[in-house]
Amino acid sequence: MIKKDLFAEPGLKQITVWGRGVYENKEARDVVVSLTEAAALEGKYVQAWENYVDLPDRIYVPVRAYGKISSNPIESKYVYENEAPDIVVLTEETLVKGVDILAGIKPNATLIINSKRAPEYLFKFIKSNTENLAKIVTIDANNLSTSVITLSGAEGATDASGIGKGIGAPLAAAIVKATGIVSFNNLLDIIVNKSAARKAYDQAIIANVHDLIKTYA
Amino acid sequence: MKTNVKRMSGCVATANAVKLANVDVICSYPIRPYTGIMSELARMVADGELDAEFVLGEGEHGQLSVVYGASAAGARAFTGSSGVGVTYAMEVYSPISGERLPLQMAIADRTLDPPGDFGSEHTDALCCRDQGWIQGWAASPQEALDMTLLYYRIGEDPRVLLPQYACQDGYFVSHILGEVDVPTQEQVNEFLPPYKNHHVLDTRDPQIIGAQMEPEMGPGTQYQRHLAVENTYKVFEEVHDEFGKIFGRQYDPWLEEYMTEDAEIVFFLQGAHAVTAKNVVKHLRNLGEKVGVVRLRTFRPFPTKQVRECLKRFKVVGVVDNSVNFGISCGSGVLLTEARAALYNNDEKVKTIGFVAGLGGSMITQNEFYQMFTILKNINKTGKVEKESYWVPFEL
Repeated sequence: MIKKDLFAEPGLKQITVWGRGVYENKEARDVVVSLTEAAALEGKYVQAWENYVDLPDRIYVPVRAYGKISSNPIESKYVYENEAPDIVVLTEETLVKGVDILAGIKPNATLIINSKRAPEYLFKFIKSNTENLAKIVTIDANNLSTSVITLSGAEGATDASGIGKGIGAPLAAAIVKATGIVSFNNLLDIIVNKSAARKAYDQAIIANVHDLIKTYA
Repeated sequence: MKTNVKRMSGCVATANAVKLANVDVICSYPIRPYTGIMSELARMVADGELDAEFVLGEGEHGQLSVVYGASAAGARAFTGSSGVGVTYAMEVYSPISGERLPLQMAIADRTLDPPGDFGSEHTDALCCRDQGWIQGWAASPQEALDMTLLYYRIGEDPRVLLPQYACQDGYFVSHILGEVDVPTQEQVNEFLPPYKNHHVLDTRDPQIIGAQMEPEMGPGTQYQRHLAVENTYKVFEEVHDEFGKIFGRQYDPWLEEYMTEDAEIVFFLQGAHAVTAKNVVKHLRNLGEKVGVVRLRTFRPFPTKQVRECLKRFKVVGVVDNSVNFGISCGSGVLLTEARAALYNNDEKVKTIGFVAGLGGSMITQNEFYQMFTILKNINKTGKVEKESYWVPFEL
């Protein structure tokens, strides 16, 4: 019999970003690329990629971008999806409905949502896999920046439009505030829209899921 | 030696190599997953980073015909495709190698139909394996970049003059970002001199290329092409040595061995899945198992001698094929038949077991490699082979 944890990678953090096809696939990719590039500055092993099956050229279908950050060389390299995310990000708030955004999340996971609504309101729509969710973070990224709509950078090619110009920058900043996955200064070194990121770092609202459950119990 | 390390996909790494090779003519036609190479090159040409003629073919047959003509006219030419795009151009491959035109085609693998699946499988490129082209697989974006440069240099060597398929696993290598040390233009200029065609198609000096000929001229023409392929072995080794000196990355041209010292069992495979195999083997070594990985880097020309000398050192070899060869001997894949043919006339008794895995672009998981290892370990222990090949995961 195979040992259960034979292929475990304890130092590995997984980030999964959900977006909407065409309108946000660049922004979803920017969130992971800005975080993985910042982590690389810190000497971490990183990997960034987009879901190969989601077909991001179809307007408004859910699409995913993935990041891996690890203190050790990444072994689960050639995979299609993040099986157990530590951080889940929604570039658009309606993804809380009808999409199993929290599937497989690790204990103590964080969910970041681009929304002007309150975490407790959005939490009501999430129907499954909330057991391991520790924090919900909201940031009104659309108020701080404008989504860059481009297919530049699709299909593994270089994004000639620049990293972190649109809503990806404030979303990444909110992630850093809530999780400390990279240093905020290193994130600022990577992204273009530093002003939106600074504001997001101040404005992001972090709610403890345990408290939300108590409130609504 | 690390000069310019960036994270990029295999597609972008290949495009960077094409730019550094200062290619003259590019012909594209879109199909996933190789398309990223062409969109990157189109951007480079549009932004003035690369001075090349960028032609949109009307299909893959047209693509290969365009670079055929361009190479005959003396241009360094580049094209590429995936899946059914590769097979659609089938007619043109033999004429190109027959005319001894050293153009390059990147293949980012994609499953052939049915149905419309864009996952990786080596079947597309392996369908063309016997057309007189050089062929091998990169297992990382870095290797994809290096392979593009190496293959132009080998193919354009006057002792060789053959076209090349530079293959990479679709999605796994072509789309996932990996670290790439991008060489400088000076390094590439030192390694890869401009292409000189000695029989240039030129209206000022008319000649016929690819003319109709009589049946009795066939044997000699084919024998010349056979000798050209045979000549590549020596050139492969010389060029890889020189590459190592200039770029600081020394590849064995034929095989990459991982944890094979004192190994009794090895996996033998090519391409990206070898990366997963290596990680599994590392953990199995920690459990005290004598197991390793041998990754084939060059499929054509097939390194018969090197494969024989390498594999005969082990007791059981698990050959993992990532392609379909329906009805092939032993019911597995072409890598198994090639490995067995290479081992046939040796005195050692090496057991070779075939696995067909990762079809349709599915991952070959760590657990699947573990299960394959369990089968190989049992054969090593009992000396009995109950089944010559297994389709993964159904027959594990």
